[in-house]
Amino acid sequence: MSTDQPDRSQHLVMAHQTDDSTASSTERYVFTPPIDIFETDDGLMLRADLPGVSLESLELQIQDNRLTLFGRVETVLPEDAVPLHREFEVGDFLRSFILSDEVDYDRITARLSRGVLEVELPRAEQPEPRRIQVNAD
Amino acid sequence: MAVFRLGQSWDPLRDLEREVDRLLQSVNLTFHGVRPGHKYPAVNVHESASEYILTAELPATAPEELELTIANGVLTMTGNRRDEVEIPEERFRRQERPRGTWKRSLPLPERIQEDQLSADFHNGMLVIRLPKAPQEEPRQIPITSD
Repeated sequence: MSTDQPDRSQHLVMAHQTDDSTASSTERYVFTPPIDIFETDDGLMLRADLPGVSLESLELQIQDNRLTLFGRVETVLPEDAVPLHREFEVGDFLRSFILSDEVDYDRITARLSRGVLEVELPRAEQPEPRRIQVNAD
Repeated sequence: MAVFRLGQSWDPLRDLEREVDRLLQSVNLTFHGVRPGHKYPAVNVHESASEYILTAELPATAPEELELTIANGVLTMTGNRRDEVEIPEERFRRQERPRGTWKRSLPLPERIQEDQLSADFHNGMLVIRLPKAPQEEPRQIPITSD
């Protein structure tokens, strides 16, 4: 399994366009969340820190062999709040990974708890070696 | 590359600093929320008409391991960032997430109702609300003369 990450940890992108033509596109930060990958008895486990992301605002998808997570962070501030002191920027989280053949894509499960996403990547069953009959002329 | 820059003396340290920054950026050592040389956790402070709002990102922290205390106008936060099940080091293929205990103290703004402070901890995001104390009416001070 390899990570597919941008060369910068943060970059500005345009927010996802919606079909609603009246929605104005606003610039939002997109961050690369820190991750851990470790081996378990059944395969691999991926953990990603996604503070501020709720179950409803998290998208996890697999296309071909690419696993992509996108977590949208909703603001917790009232509308009239003005910043007094800022040490971190608020933005969404995006990261994708290339899965190897050792992962059983159909059995991948995930859970979100305390701002941490856990994705279980079970090892695929290795097919039994099959003997090939060689026929002589 | 210009050998001489007008109105600016040669500053090898700044150039070196810039070069190191560029190298660090290219290897992506810094991750969101954790920056070497900065206090952990990073805290934002916002002000609305009725309150001050402190926000901090604290993923992987159990509510029972987060402690907030107020004394003499200083808010002290302590916490432990760890996973429910510890994993032996040799099993890691990649390890980027920080862990461990931390402590941070913040001076609070004046004129807040300390006893009305509320804290909400949800999805790894801590939100502390500090209601402002009501503005006191200006009070006339009587002046007496002989």
